[in-house]
Order: sequence, then structure tokens, then C-alpha cells
Amino acid sequence: MTGEPLAVEYYIPLIMFLVMGAIVPIAALAAVKIISPLKPNRRKKSIYEGGLSPVRDARIQFNVQYYLFAIVFVIFDVEVLFLYPWIYVYASEIMNRFVLLGFLNMAVVEMVLFIAVLLLGLLYAIKKEALRWV
Amino acid sequence: MELFAFVETIMNWAAQERALTALIIGLIGAAILSGVINVGAMAVVWLERKVLGDVQSRFGPNRTGSRWGILQLGADAIKLFTKEDIIPKGADKQVYVWAPIVASISTMLVAAAIPFGALRINGVDYPLVVANMDISAFYVEAVLSIMVVAAFMAGFSSYNKYSLLGAFRGMARMISYEVPMGVCVIGVALMAHSLNLVDIVESQVVWYAFAQPIGFVVFTIALITDLGRMPFDQSEAEEELVAGYVTEYGGIRWGLLYFQEYISMVLGSILLVLLFLGGWRGPSIPVITIFSPMIWFLMKVIIVLVFLVWLRASVMRFRIDQVTDLGWKWMLPLSLVNLAWAVLVGLYLA
Repeated sequence: MTGEPLAVEYYIPLIMFLVMGAIVPIAALAAVKIISPLKPNRRKKSIYEGGLSPVRDARIQFNVQYYLFAIVFVIFDVEVLFLYPWIYVYASEIMNRFVLLGFLNMAVVEMVLFIAVLLLGLLYAIKKEALRWV
Repeated sequence: MELFAFVETIMNWAAQERALTALIIGLIGAAILSGVINVGAMAVVWLERKVLGDVQSRFGPNRTGSRWGILQLGADAIKLFTKEDIIPKGADKQVYVWAPIVASISTMLVAAAIPFGALRINGVDYPLVVANMDISAFYVEAVLSIMVVAAFMAGFSSYNKYSLLGAFRGMARMISYEVPMGVCVIGVALMAHSLNLVDIVESQVVWYAFAQPIGFVVFTIALITDLGRMPFDQSEAEEELVAGYVTEYGGIRWGLLYFQEYISMVLGSILLVLLFLGGWRGPSIPVITIFSPMIWFLMKVIIVLVFLVWLRASVMRFRIDQVTDLGWKWMLPLSLVNLAWAVLVGLYLA
């Protein structure tokens, strides 16, 4: 190895970690297959539902509430994704050339506007009771 | 064209035999770390049972091993390994089998990027981390939430109403707290001018817990929620959902899922210490100078772990609607307030 490590180099060990993460449980399952007895019957394989036989389909429909949460989540997660590269922009030299009123970094102004729009959206969602559990 | 250029770069670089070196480092690191985190999680299970016992004025494990019950986990492991491996009728077999494996992969991927303390040689701290990438804080946060996918796979594939409800709740809970958690990490990264966990630790002349108190509180709550610990463990609330998403799991498969939860609890505590509690920073201890960062680091991690167990013993579980309400109406605005605070401090003090 000579010189500074490349950025990619840090990601290579992750492959080994991924493989190791899969090997440990698979090895445990294989060991169980050898050690433990296996005499399944209908009773043992049945679903637990309070001790009685299961009623109707277990694949119940999910509450529509979860869907609304998911939509709001996607919007705000995108916001967070934009914020991560913004950290570097904020700290960079270029941005210090664009200052408002002598002290306000333009990167900050832009992000404040962006978050303000999203917060308005959140307020709207709360006002419309989209986030209230029904 | 960009893609071709990228592939070419990778090929050129692999030709320099660096790929092999990196792979070997990865293999050694993975082998050591999988041992370390598994033993660590075992210690935490034992610690939790002992502390819970103390809180509830009973002994906890005190028969196997000495009167401290150290071998209890070994006994439990033997039991789990010899139990019959049953897959319930109607379960989606592929997904059911893969859920514990996905959980294990997620915790291992987190462990790859987290520094497990440091060694101090000639006054310089050398962090013990395998993949010291530039964006490790972002990466850890992203990979930490794969655990929820594993929980959802387990609950969805079990063909059991309790499991499915637990999986839904887990997902809703994760969704509500992922955003505040991310914003808090951004607040920290803003002050540290870096997303690298090692840089974040080294920039903490003042702990970020003091520099950003709101962020610290919000992040701690979001972390507990992400880990599914007591006040926020609606996805496995035993009074309502039997065992939540693990209801249909038994034997070693249950053991694996359960164990992964404890491993992610250890990793989450380490993350909290790294981001907000100064990591391994601390004065040198004479004679054992080389290990002094390690001692500070372990002390902080153990305090956080005991705090989590203590919380489990003394706080009641919230309802799921209270949890999501808290997330969207309090944690998210508060995390943005913290971000604004971090920006202001960054502008005026830097």
C-alpha cells in the first residue's frame, strides 16, 4: 500500500462485514438443524392466537393512518437528505462570498426558506388532522 | 460515460493489489468485531437482568455460574440450540427465514463504521475503526434503520395478527422518529464541520450534549425509539400483542432476533456517546496512558446502557398514538430549533 487510501477503499471492508453478518445466523441455523430434534405436527405448526384456532385471514388490512404518516415521512426524509450535502456547502469557502446584510450566509438563508416551506406543510397536515390517530 | 469512468477507476485501483489488502483488513475486522459485539451484547443481556432484578428487589440470575449468574446466558444458548425448529403453517417461508439474517447483517454493517474507542500513543488517539469513511455518521444512521425492515419482515411473514400489528407499529414508530434523529445528527455535523465520527469526537472540546442540549434530548429519545426500548416498545408490547413481531418465532430464530436487538442497543449507546458525550476524549490516566481513552469510552457506554435499563424498569409504555404525536408535533420542530441553534452558534462563535 502506497500513498493516501482512496475513498473507495473504506467501503471494501463492508463487503466482508455483509458476508460475516449473513454467515453467523446461517451457521447457527445449520447447527440447530444438526442438534435439535424435528418432529413437527399440525398442532405445533399452527398459529398462536390466544390459545384458540385462528379466526379468518391473518393478513389484515393496515390502518389508512400509516399511509398518511408514510407520505409525510417521505417529504421530510427528502428534506434531511438535502440537509446532509448542505453541511459541506455551508462550511465551504464559496458560500462565504455570498453574504446578506454583511453577516448572513446565503446557504443559511436558502435552507431557512426551504425548511419554512416544509414546516408550513407540516402545520397544514396537523391542522387538517392528517397526523391525528383515528 | 460517468459510469464507465467509475468502473475504470475501480479496475485500475484493484490492479494495485489494494483491493486484496482492504478485503483482508475487512475479514479480520469482521471476525474480531462480530466476536466483540456478540460478547458485548451477552454482557448487556446479563446486565439488564441483574439491574432489573435489583430494581424490583429480587436477585436476578444467581444459580448458573457463581452467585452472580454469569453462565446463565450459556445455559440459555444451549437451550435455544436444542429446541425444535418450527416454521408455522401459512408463514411466508422465505421471508420468515431471512428476517433474522437481515437483522444480523444490519448490525454488522453498523459495527463496521463505528469506532470502538481509541488507543493513546505518544499523546495521539488512534481510533479503533475498520471503515473510517468520510460520511460514517450518515452511513450509520442509514444502516441502523435496516433493523426495522427485518422486524417488518418477521412480523409480515408470520401470518399472525399480533405479529402484523407489531410490525405496523414498529414501522410507524421508526418513520416518526427517523427525521428528528437525522436532523440532530446534522446539527452535530454542522458544529464539527464533518460527518466522520472520528472527526466529530475529536472536535468535541465541549461535549455536544452541553453545546446542543435540545439536540441531545431529542436524539436520545429518537434513539430509544429506534431501538424499540421500553417507553417506546409498542411493536412488542406483551400485554397487547403477546410478543409483537416475534410471536411466531421460536428456538434459535427467536434467539437471533432477540439478540440482534441487544446488539443494536449496544451500538446505539456507542453512537450516542460518540455524537454527544465526547466519545473517548478525557484526561490521560498515568501508568495505563495507552488505554485511558478506552476506559473513558467504556465508562460512558456502560452508563448509557444502565440508563436505558433503568428507564425500562421505571417508565410506563406510551400508546402508539402518543408516540407518533410526540414525534411529529414535538420532536421534529424541536430538532429544527436545535439545527437553528447550531447554525447560529456556528455563525457567531466560529
